[in-house]
Amino acid sequence: MSIVIVPCSGIGKTYGTVTREAAYRVVEELCPGETEIVPLSLLVLGDPEAQARVRNNTAVITLDGCKLACATVNVGQAGGTVTRAFTVLDCYRRHKDMKPQGIAELNAGGLALAQALAAEVAQAVAEIEKAEAS
Amino acid sequence: MPHLPPRKVGIVACSGEEMAEGTVTRLAALKVLEELRPTMTVTICLPLFLAGGEGDRAFARFYPTIAVDGCARRCAARATELYSHKPAVSIVLDDVLAERGLQRPQGLRRLTPESLPVVDALAEVIAGEVDRLMAARWSRSEGRLLDTEESEPATTGSTGCACSSGIPISRVRVNGRTVAIMALEPILEMAYNQGLRASPNDHATASLPPAIMDAVRLYNAIPSEDDALYTEAVQVAWQHFCAAKEQNHG
Repeated sequence: MSIVIVPCSGIGKTYGTVTREAAYRVVEELCPGETEIVPLSLLVLGDPEAQARVRNNTAVITLDGCKLACATVNVGQAGGTVTRAFTVLDCYRRHKDMKPQGIAELNAGGLALAQALAAEVAQAVAEIEKAEAS
Repeated sequence: MPHLPPRKVGIVACSGEEMAEGTVTRLAALKVLEELRPTMTVTICLPLFLAGGEGDRAFARFYPTIAVDGCARRCAARATELYSHKPAVSIVLDDVLAERGLQRPQGLRRLTPESLPVVDALAEVIAGEVDRLMAARWSRSEGRLLDTEESEPATTGSTGCACSSGIPISRVRVNGRTVAIMALEPILEMAYNQGLRASPNDHATASLPPAIMDAVRLYNAIPSEDDALYTEAVQVAWQHFCAAKEQNHG
Protein backbone atom coordinates (compact mmCIF):
# COMPACT_ATOMS: atom_id res chain seq x y z
CA MET A 1 0.00 0.00 0.00
CA SER A 2 1.10 3.54 -0.71
CA ILE A 3 2.17 5.99 1.93
CA VAL A 4 -0.41 8.75 2.15
CA ILE A 5 0.67 12.38 1.86
CA VAL A 6 -1.75 15.06 3.11
CA PRO A 7 -0.79 18.69 2.42
CA CYS A 8 -2.51 21.53 4.24
CA SER A 9 -4.63 22.69 1.29
CA GLY A 10 -4.85 26.33 2.37
CA ILE A 11 -5.25 28.70 -0.55
CA GLY A 12 -4.80 32.11 1.05
CA LYS A 13 -1.21 32.00 2.20
CA THR A 14 2.19 31.25 0.71
CA TYR A 15 3.03 28.46 3.13
CA GLY A 16 -0.03 26.49 2.03
CA THR A 17 1.16 26.68 -1.54
CA VAL A 18 4.59 25.43 -0.46
CA THR A 19 3.07 22.33 1.18
CA ARG A 20 1.02 21.56 -1.92
CA GLU A 21 4.00 21.99 -4.24
CA ALA A 22 6.14 19.80 -1.98
CA ALA A 23 3.46 17.10 -1.89
CA TYR A 24 3.21 17.04 -5.68
CA ARG A 25 6.99 16.80 -5.97
CA VAL A 26 7.07 13.82 -3.63
CA VAL A 27 4.23 11.98 -5.33
CA GLU A 28 5.13 12.81 -8.93
CA GLU A 29 8.92 12.97 -8.90
CA LEU A 30 10.66 11.68 -5.78
CA CYS A 31 8.52 8.74 -4.69
CA PRO A 32 6.14 7.91 -7.56
CA GLY A 33 4.24 4.68 -7.02
CA GLU A 34 5.13 4.65 -3.32
CA THR A 35 3.07 7.66 -2.26
CA GLU A 36 -0.34 9.17 -2.96
CA ILE A 37 -2.05 12.43 -2.08
CA VAL A 38 -5.32 12.41 -0.15
CA PRO A 39 -7.11 15.76 -0.54
CA LEU A 40 -7.89 17.44 2.74
CA SER A 41 -11.27 18.67 1.47
CA LEU A 42 -12.50 15.08 1.30
CA LEU A 43 -11.37 14.41 4.87
CA VAL A 44 -13.07 17.59 6.08
CA LEU A 45 -16.32 16.42 4.57
CA GLY A 46 -15.94 12.96 6.05
CA ASP A 47 -15.74 11.14 2.73
CA PRO A 48 -15.69 7.42 3.64
CA GLU A 49 -13.23 6.46 0.92
CA ALA A 50 -10.77 9.19 1.89
CA GLN A 51 -11.12 8.29 5.56
CA ALA A 52 -10.43 4.66 4.74
CA ARG A 53 -7.28 5.66 2.89
CA VAL A 54 -5.82 7.43 5.94
CA ARG A 55 -6.94 4.68 8.29
CA ASN A 56 -5.84 1.65 6.30
CA ASN A 57 -2.65 2.73 4.58
CA THR A 58 0.73 1.85 5.91
CA ALA A 59 1.63 5.36 6.95
CA VAL A 60 0.38 8.94 6.77
CA ILE A 61 2.64 11.96 6.37
CA THR A 62 1.17 15.42 6.89
CA LEU A 63 2.52 18.72 5.58
CA ASP A 64 1.22 21.78 7.41
CA GLY A 65 1.56 25.40 6.49
CA CYS A 66 0.91 26.98 9.88
CA LYS A 67 0.58 26.27 13.58
CA LEU A 68 -3.11 25.41 13.24
CA ALA A 69 -1.92 22.18 11.63
CA CYS A 70 -5.09 21.52 9.64
CA ALA A 71 -3.67 18.49 7.87
CA THR A 72 -2.53 16.80 11.07
CA VAL A 73 -5.72 17.68 12.94
CA ASN A 74 -8.01 16.54 10.14
CA VAL A 75 -6.20 13.21 9.69
CA GLY A 76 -6.65 12.60 13.43
CA GLN A 77 -10.33 13.56 13.22
CA ALA A 78 -10.73 11.09 10.36
CA GLY A 79 -9.41 8.28 12.52
CA GLY A 80 -5.96 8.10 10.98
CA THR A 81 -2.61 8.07 12.72
CA VAL A 82 0.01 10.53 11.60
CA THR A 83 3.33 8.77 11.15
CA ARG A 84 5.35 11.91 10.44
CA ALA A 85 4.24 15.53 10.60
CA PHE A 86 6.13 18.25 8.75
CA THR A 87 5.63 22.01 8.86
CA VAL A 88 6.85 24.55 6.37
CA LEU A 89 7.96 26.87 9.16
CA ASP A 90 10.30 24.26 10.61
CA CYS A 91 11.74 23.64 7.17
CA TYR A 92 12.12 27.38 6.57
CA ARG A 93 14.03 27.73 9.84
CA ARG A 94 16.53 25.25 8.44
CA HIS A 95 16.70 27.10 5.11
CA LYS A 96 16.51 30.78 5.88
CA ASP A 97 17.87 31.66 2.46
CA MET A 98 14.72 30.27 0.80
CA LYS A 99 12.15 32.96 1.50
CA PRO A 100 8.83 31.97 -0.05
CA GLN A 101 6.56 34.52 -1.71
CA GLY A 102 3.55 34.29 -3.96
CA ILE A 103 0.39 32.23 -3.65
CA ALA A 104 -0.85 31.26 -7.11
CA GLU A 105 2.76 31.14 -8.31
CA LEU A 106 5.66 30.67 -5.92
CA ASN A 107 8.84 32.69 -6.34
CA ALA A 108 12.23 31.00 -6.68
CA GLY A 109 12.64 30.92 -2.90
CA GLY A 110 9.26 29.24 -2.48
CA LEU A 111 10.02 26.62 -5.11
CA ALA A 112 13.39 25.94 -3.50
CA LEU A 113 11.75 25.61 -0.09
CA ALA A 114 9.14 23.24 -1.53
CA GLN A 115 11.96 21.16 -3.00
CA ALA A 116 13.76 21.11 0.39
CA LEU A 117 10.56 20.06 2.15
CA ALA A 118 9.89 17.42 -0.49
CA ALA A 119 13.39 16.02 0.02
CA GLU A 120 12.77 15.76 3.78
CA VAL A 121 9.48 13.99 3.14
CA ALA A 122 11.11 11.62 0.65
CA GLN A 123 13.71 10.80 3.28
CA ALA A 124 10.91 10.03 5.73
CA VAL A 125 9.23 7.81 3.14
CA ALA A 126 12.47 5.85 2.76
CA GLU A 127 12.82 5.49 6.53
CA ILE A 128 9.25 4.31 6.94
CA GLU A 129 9.62 1.77 4.15
CA LYS A 130 12.87 0.52 5.64
CA ALA A 131 11.26 0.14 9.05
CA GLU A 132 8.31 -1.72 7.57
CA ALA A 133 10.58 -4.05 5.62
CA SER A 134 12.65 -5.03 8.65
CA MET B 1 -27.58 46.46 15.15
CA PRO B 2 -24.12 46.00 16.69
CA HIS B 3 -21.25 47.35 14.66
CA LEU B 4 -19.48 44.51 12.86
CA PRO B 5 -16.82 44.66 10.13
CA PRO B 6 -17.96 45.65 6.61
CA ARG B 7 -19.63 42.90 4.67
CA LYS B 8 -17.52 40.87 2.32
CA VAL B 9 -18.15 37.67 0.44
CA GLY B 10 -16.30 34.55 1.55
CA ILE B 11 -15.03 32.19 -1.14
CA VAL B 12 -14.59 28.53 -0.21
CA ALA B 13 -12.79 26.58 -2.91
CA CYS B 14 -12.60 22.79 -2.76
CA SER B 15 -8.98 22.93 -3.89
CA GLY B 16 -8.94 19.15 -4.32
CA GLU B 17 -5.34 18.15 -4.98
CA GLU B 18 -6.23 14.91 -6.69
CA MET B 19 -7.87 16.39 -9.73
CA ALA B 20 -7.31 19.19 -12.24
CA GLU B 21 -10.74 20.56 -11.43
CA GLY B 22 -9.59 21.20 -7.85
CA THR B 23 -6.63 23.19 -9.12
CA VAL B 24 -9.00 25.21 -11.32
CA THR B 25 -11.21 26.10 -8.33
CA ARG B 26 -8.18 27.23 -6.34
CA LEU B 27 -6.71 29.37 -9.14
CA ALA B 28 -10.10 30.86 -10.03
CA ALA B 29 -10.76 31.76 -6.39
CA LEU B 30 -7.33 33.39 -6.15
CA LYS B 31 -7.96 35.34 -9.36
CA VAL B 32 -11.15 36.77 -7.85
CA LEU B 33 -9.44 37.49 -4.53
CA GLU B 34 -6.34 39.10 -5.99
CA GLU B 35 -7.43 40.63 -9.28
CA LEU B 36 -11.15 40.80 -9.99
CA ARG B 37 -12.77 41.68 -6.65
CA PRO B 38 -9.93 42.22 -4.14
CA THR B 39 -11.80 44.59 -1.81
CA MET B 40 -15.01 42.59 -1.69
CA THR B 41 -13.81 39.08 -0.97
CA VAL B 42 -11.93 36.92 1.51
CA THR B 43 -10.94 33.30 1.26
CA ILE B 44 -12.31 30.82 3.75
CA CYS B 45 -10.05 27.91 4.54
CA LEU B 46 -12.07 24.72 4.24
CA PRO B 47 -9.80 22.52 6.42
CA LEU B 48 -9.97 25.11 9.19
CA PHE B 49 -13.66 24.38 9.69
CA LEU B 50 -12.68 21.06 11.23
CA ALA B 51 -9.41 22.17 12.75
CA GLY B 52 -11.18 24.73 14.91
CA GLY B 53 -10.95 27.88 12.81
CA GLU B 54 -13.41 30.00 14.79
CA GLY B 55 -12.79 33.01 12.59
CA ASP B 56 -13.72 31.09 9.47
CA ARG B 57 -16.81 29.57 11.06
CA ALA B 58 -17.92 32.92 12.42
CA PHE B 59 -17.42 34.59 9.07
CA ALA B 60 -19.53 32.02 7.26
CA ARG B 61 -22.28 32.42 9.87
CA PHE B 62 -22.50 36.18 9.44
CA TYR B 63 -21.64 36.84 5.83
CA PRO B 64 -22.53 35.32 2.47
CA THR B 65 -20.25 32.65 1.11
CA ILE B 66 -19.71 31.18 -2.34
CA ALA B 67 -18.71 27.52 -2.43
CA VAL B 68 -16.70 26.58 -5.51
CA ASP B 69 -16.42 22.86 -6.19
CA GLY B 70 -14.52 20.89 -8.76
CA CYS B 71 -16.82 17.90 -8.83
CA ALA B 72 -20.30 16.71 -7.95
CA ARG B 73 -19.19 15.59 -4.49
CA ARG B 74 -19.37 19.29 -3.60
CA CYS B 75 -17.01 19.09 -0.62
CA ALA B 76 -16.80 22.87 -0.22
CA ALA B 77 -20.56 23.45 -0.26
CA ARG B 78 -21.41 20.52 1.96
CA ALA B 79 -18.64 21.11 4.51
CA THR B 80 -19.49 24.81 4.76
CA GLU B 81 -23.11 23.95 5.48
CA LEU B 82 -22.11 21.18 7.88
CA TYR B 83 -19.77 23.26 10.01
CA SER B 84 -21.07 26.78 9.64
CA HIS B 85 -23.92 27.90 7.43
CA LYS B 86 -25.44 27.11 4.07
CA PRO B 87 -23.48 28.91 1.32
CA ALA B 88 -25.37 31.70 -0.43
CA VAL B 89 -24.15 30.33 -3.75
CA SER B 90 -22.83 26.92 -4.77
CA ILE B 91 -20.91 26.70 -8.04
CA VAL B 92 -19.82 23.39 -9.52
CA LEU B 93 -17.21 23.52 -12.27
CA ASP B 94 -19.04 20.91 -14.36
CA ASP B 95 -21.95 23.32 -14.78
CA VAL B 96 -19.66 26.09 -15.98
CA LEU B 97 -17.96 23.73 -18.45
CA ALA B 98 -21.32 22.66 -19.83
CA GLU B 99 -22.76 26.18 -20.04
CA ARG B 100 -19.72 27.60 -21.82
CA GLY B 101 -18.85 24.57 -23.94
CA LEU B 102 -15.37 24.31 -22.45
CA GLN B 103 -13.11 21.24 -22.43
CA ARG B 104 -12.42 19.49 -19.15
CA PRO B 105 -9.16 20.86 -17.64
CA GLN B 106 -5.99 18.82 -17.64
CA GLY B 107 -3.00 18.83 -15.29
CA LEU B 108 -2.68 18.73 -11.52
CA ARG B 109 0.27 20.67 -10.26
CA ARG B 110 0.42 22.69 -13.47
CA LEU B 111 -2.64 23.11 -15.64
CA THR B 112 -2.06 22.76 -19.36
CA PRO B 113 -2.14 26.06 -21.30
CA GLU B 114 -5.37 24.88 -22.94
CA SER B 115 -6.98 24.67 -19.50
CA LEU B 116 -6.30 28.26 -18.47
CA PRO B 117 -9.47 29.66 -20.13
CA VAL B 118 -11.42 27.42 -17.75
CA VAL B 119 -9.86 29.29 -14.81
CA ASP B 120 -10.83 32.62 -16.38
CA ALA B 121 -14.39 31.44 -17.05
CA LEU B 122 -14.89 30.15 -13.52
CA ALA B 123 -13.40 33.33 -12.02
CA GLU B 124 -15.82 35.37 -14.14
CA VAL B 125 -18.78 33.39 -12.81
CA ILE B 126 -17.58 33.79 -9.21
CA ALA B 127 -17.05 37.54 -9.66
CA GLY B 128 -20.56 37.87 -11.06
CA GLU B 129 -21.99 36.17 -8.00
CA VAL B 130 -19.88 38.39 -5.72
CA ASP B 131 -21.40 41.45 -7.40
CA ARG B 132 -24.90 40.07 -7.00
CA LEU B 133 -24.40 39.28 -3.31
CA MET B 134 -22.81 42.65 -2.56
CA ALA B 135 -25.66 44.48 -4.26
CA ALA B 136 -28.32 42.67 -2.27
CA ARG B 137 -29.45 43.03 1.32
CA TRP B 138 -28.17 40.22 3.51
CA SER B 139 -29.68 38.95 6.75
CA ARG B 140 -26.90 38.08 9.19
CA SER B 141 -29.33 36.40 11.54
CA GLU B 142 -30.95 34.23 8.88
CA GLY B 143 -27.92 33.83 6.64
CA ARG B 144 -29.76 34.54 3.42
CA LEU B 145 -30.51 37.26 0.92
CA LEU B 146 -33.43 39.44 1.97
CA ASP B 147 -34.12 40.86 -1.48
CA THR B 148 -32.29 42.28 -4.47
CA GLU B 149 -32.57 45.91 -3.42
CA GLU B 150 -29.21 47.54 -3.97
CA SER B 151 -27.17 48.64 -1.00
CA GLU B 152 -23.82 50.35 -0.64
CA PRO B 153 -21.00 47.86 -1.23
CA ALA B 154 -18.09 47.68 1.18
CA THR B 155 -15.02 49.32 -0.28
CA THR B 156 -12.57 49.23 2.58
CA GLY B 157 -10.18 46.59 3.86
CA SER B 158 -7.93 44.23 1.99
CA THR B 159 -7.97 40.79 0.50
CA GLY B 160 -7.21 38.07 2.97
CA CYS B 161 -8.38 35.13 4.96
CA ALA B 162 -11.64 34.96 6.86
CA CYS B 163 -9.67 33.90 9.92
CA SER B 164 -8.76 37.56 10.23
CA SER B 165 -12.21 38.82 9.28
CA GLY B 166 -12.53 40.67 12.55
CA ILE B 167 -15.73 39.14 13.88
CA PRO B 168 -14.99 39.17 17.61
CA ILE B 169 -15.43 36.05 19.71
CA SER B 170 -15.45 36.57 23.49
CA ARG B 171 -14.78 33.88 26.05
CA VAL B 172 -16.40 34.10 29.44
CA ARG B 173 -15.69 31.66 32.25
CA VAL B 174 -18.69 30.70 34.38
CA ASN B 175 -18.97 27.89 36.91
CA GLY B 176 -15.80 26.27 35.64
CA ARG B 177 -16.92 26.35 32.01
CA THR B 178 -15.71 28.65 29.28
CA VAL B 179 -18.43 29.98 27.01
CA ALA B 180 -17.50 31.41 23.60
CA ILE B 181 -19.90 34.08 22.40
CA MET B 182 -19.73 35.67 18.98
CA ALA B 183 -20.11 39.43 18.56
CA LEU B 184 -20.54 39.95 22.32
CA GLU B 185 -18.36 43.06 22.52
CA PRO B 186 -20.19 45.02 19.81
CA ILE B 187 -23.52 43.93 21.31
CA LEU B 188 -22.54 45.27 24.74
CA GLU B 189 -21.16 48.42 23.14
CA MET B 190 -24.45 48.95 21.33
CA ALA B 191 -26.43 48.46 24.55
CA TYR B 192 -24.18 50.84 26.46
CA ASN B 193 -24.49 53.48 23.75
CA GLN B 194 -28.26 53.12 23.98
CA GLY B 195 -28.06 54.18 27.62
CA LEU B 196 -28.43 50.77 29.26
CA ARG B 197 -26.35 50.18 32.38
CA ALA B 198 -25.59 47.31 34.75
CA SER B 199 -26.89 47.70 38.27
CA PRO B 200 -23.92 48.12 40.62
CA ASN B 201 -23.37 45.29 43.07
CA ASP B 202 -26.17 43.31 41.46
CA HIS B 203 -25.13 40.03 39.90
CA ALA B 204 -28.63 38.65 39.57
CA THR B 205 -29.44 37.80 35.97
CA ALA B 206 -32.69 39.70 36.36
CA SER B 207 -30.67 42.90 36.01
CA LEU B 208 -29.50 41.97 32.54
CA PRO B 209 -31.45 44.01 30.01
CA PRO B 210 -33.48 41.54 27.89
CA ALA B 211 -32.42 43.34 24.71
CA ILE B 212 -28.86 42.17 25.27
CA MET B 213 -29.74 38.48 25.45
CA ASP B 214 -32.07 38.92 22.47
CA ALA B 215 -29.14 40.24 20.43
CA VAL B 216 -26.82 37.50 21.70
CA ARG B 217 -29.34 34.84 20.67
CA LEU B 218 -29.55 36.43 17.25
CA TYR B 219 -25.86 35.89 16.63
CA ASN B 220 -25.31 32.65 18.55
CA ALA B 221 -27.02 29.30 18.43
CA ILE B 222 -27.54 28.65 22.14
CA PRO B 223 -28.56 25.10 23.09
CA SER B 224 -31.68 25.24 25.28
CA GLU B 225 -29.95 23.28 28.04
CA ASP B 226 -27.19 25.91 28.16
CA ASP B 227 -29.44 28.96 28.14
CA ALA B 228 -28.97 29.70 31.83
CA LEU B 229 -25.21 29.30 31.54
CA TYR B 230 -25.03 31.70 28.58
CA THR B 231 -27.28 34.19 30.34
CA GLU B 232 -25.04 34.15 33.38
CA ALA B 233 -21.95 34.48 31.20
CA VAL B 234 -23.42 37.49 29.41
CA GLN B 235 -24.43 38.98 32.75
CA VAL B 236 -20.85 38.67 34.03
CA ALA B 237 -19.48 40.17 30.82
CA TRP B 238 -22.02 43.01 30.99
CA GLN B 239 -21.06 43.84 34.58
CA HIS B 240 -17.37 43.91 33.66
CA PHE B 241 -18.03 45.89 30.50
CA CYS B 242 -19.98 48.58 32.32
CA ALA B 243 -17.48 48.72 35.17
CA ALA B 244 -14.63 49.24 32.72
CA LYS B 245 -16.56 51.97 30.95
CA GLU B 246 -17.31 53.77 34.18
CA GLN B 247 -13.68 53.49 35.25
CA ASN B 248 -12.51 54.95 31.94
CA HIS B 249 -14.94 57.81 32.29
CA GLY B 250 -13.64 58.49 35.78
